[in-house]
Amino acid sequence: MANVRQISVFVDNKPNQLTGVMKLLKESGINIRALSIADTKDFGILRMIVNDTEKACDTLRDASYAVTVTEIIAISIPDSPGQLSRVLDILGGEGVNLEYLYAFTGASDRAVSFVIRVDDNENASAALTKGGIIQLTENDISEM
Amino acid sequence: MERYWNEEIECMSRDDMKKLQDQRLVAQVKHVYDNVKYYRDLMDEKGVKPEDIKSTDDLHKLPFLSKADLREAYPYGLLAKPLSECVRIHSTSGTTGKRVVAFYTQHDIDLWDDCCARAITAAGGTKEDVCQIAYGFGLFTGGAGLNGGSHTVGCLTLPMSSGNTERQITFMRDMGSTILCCTPSYAAYIGETLQEMGLTPDDIQLKAGIFGAEPWTEEMRKSIEKSLGIKAYDIYGLTETSGPGVAFECSEQNGMHINEDNFIPEIIDPDTGEVLPEGEVGELVFTSITKEAFPLLRYRTRDLCVLSRKKCSCGRTLIKMAKPMGRSDDMMIIRGVNVFPSQIETVLIAEGYAPNYLIEVDRVNNTDTLDISVEMKPEQFSDKVKDMQDQERSLALAIKTMLGINPKVHLVSPKSIARSEGKAVRVIDKRKLHD
Repeated sequence: MANVRQISVFVDNKPNQLTGVMKLLKESGINIRALSIADTKDFGILRMIVNDTEKACDTLRDASYAVTVTEIIAISIPDSPGQLSRVLDILGGEGVNLEYLYAFTGASDRAVSFVIRVDDNENASAALTKGGIIQLTENDISEM
Repeated sequence: MERYWNEEIECMSRDDMKKLQDQRLVAQVKHVYDNVKYYRDLMDEKGVKPEDIKSTDDLHKLPFLSKADLREAYPYGLLAKPLSECVRIHSTSGTTGKRVVAFYTQHDIDLWDDCCARAITAAGGTKEDVCQIAYGFGLFTGGAGLNGGSHTVGCLTLPMSSGNTERQITFMRDMGSTILCCTPSYAAYIGETLQEMGLTPDDIQLKAGIFGAEPWTEEMRKSIEKSLGIKAYDIYGLTETSGPGVAFECSEQNGMHINEDNFIPEIIDPDTGEVLPEGEVGELVFTSITKEAFPLLRYRTRDLCVLSRKKCSCGRTLIKMAKPMGRSDDMMIIRGVNVFPSQIETVLIAEGYAPNYLIEVDRVNNTDTLDISVEMKPEQFSDKVKDMQDQERSLALAIKTMLGINPKVHLVSPKSIARSEGKAVRVIDKRKLHD
């Protein structure tokens, strides 16, 4: 159900690489809703949810960046102790493998949003629905 | 006092040496023409007959051989003796496509051992010495060559092969090794390990080292001499001519005497092939005049070098070659292994990468490092770190399988490696290998 698209960009381990990406997005009027960077000794992977996925991808690809679009699950959970642990229990109980997750700012100050990247979206999404976890759509996120 | 292994040859007058070379060359050209179809065809193509070669003055009339010929004639095309007469092969380090296999009769092995015995003697070795061979043993010529030379001199020989450095030092101390033979970078590493073990040169008996198979500087020589408390001597050779011992250093430690009773050197212009006068820098070419099984005539080494007949204080009259000062091709020697950028390119293409890459070679703590940046194709990118690291690892493994040495592979963004007009810069060698 979730169907939220995330853009990932390969970032070389050189000065000003992130600046370059941000400048392009700025020039195209792209708004970033969620963002995280995974960094290794050699390279970084920038992951984002933006308000216009196609336009952002085209812009970056035209500038020769390696870009990939992945479907991820976005959830909104109450901002209180033990909530993320509950989510992970639900996924773990279904045998879903978590690749990575990151938090982003939601619309409400009583809730927090997460991007969850798993190996099996369908299974994970069904389990989360059954567990009463609110999943966000791309629309929800762009209206935040 | 200077000692010689074969004083008659090593100190022979130029006239006598030339007579010996003339006579051996004439016989060798006939032997090759009669037995090696590949070279006979080259001579016929050039319109040269064995009768045209009456002395070394006619050497320039003969066609060259290059690594490309060796590849084309692989494996038996340049063999000049029946296999039943051959007793051994050696081969250049683990590379497909560029492999060189050299054959030896017992006579060839004996000549090679004799050349290495001259090197050991010039470094002060006698039958009283304990000679530790820490070159690799196997297809590589380093171990076998010095091992043979050490036997010939009558040293107590420790065929250690390379690696296991603490054990090297244990044997060095327990057996009282006096001569060490290995690559200069390994000698430097042994020196460092000695220090790490809390030992000093006073704890070992070493007095001399014979180091070759890779380029090294005067600076490195001084540092090795200090860390091991020895005199360090250079030695030169290549599998195509036999192995180490083609040329060796004497007490003057200033250039290597070529065993010219076995190998006639020439310096040529690498572009035109013209023979250059003594003292000019050019590509070193060797003609084997005594080898039976794999006698290469006018083999282009691609090493850039200078020859000198200036009188040497050691008393030897053998012509001297300077340390090679570079290559006329793009071959690199990394950890003693010959590496061509084209080999790396072949792997990249086979593994589905675009041939856009940058090779960076450096020397850190006396060990060569090889870093290869490779542009990924957009479709090779994944949002998962693990996927990217797996790709880097599997590419590094494929390159290791080809070269025999472990590279560090770095995937980089598409089109991020600078494209230059004309010849692309593929290699940055940060090592200071030549003075």
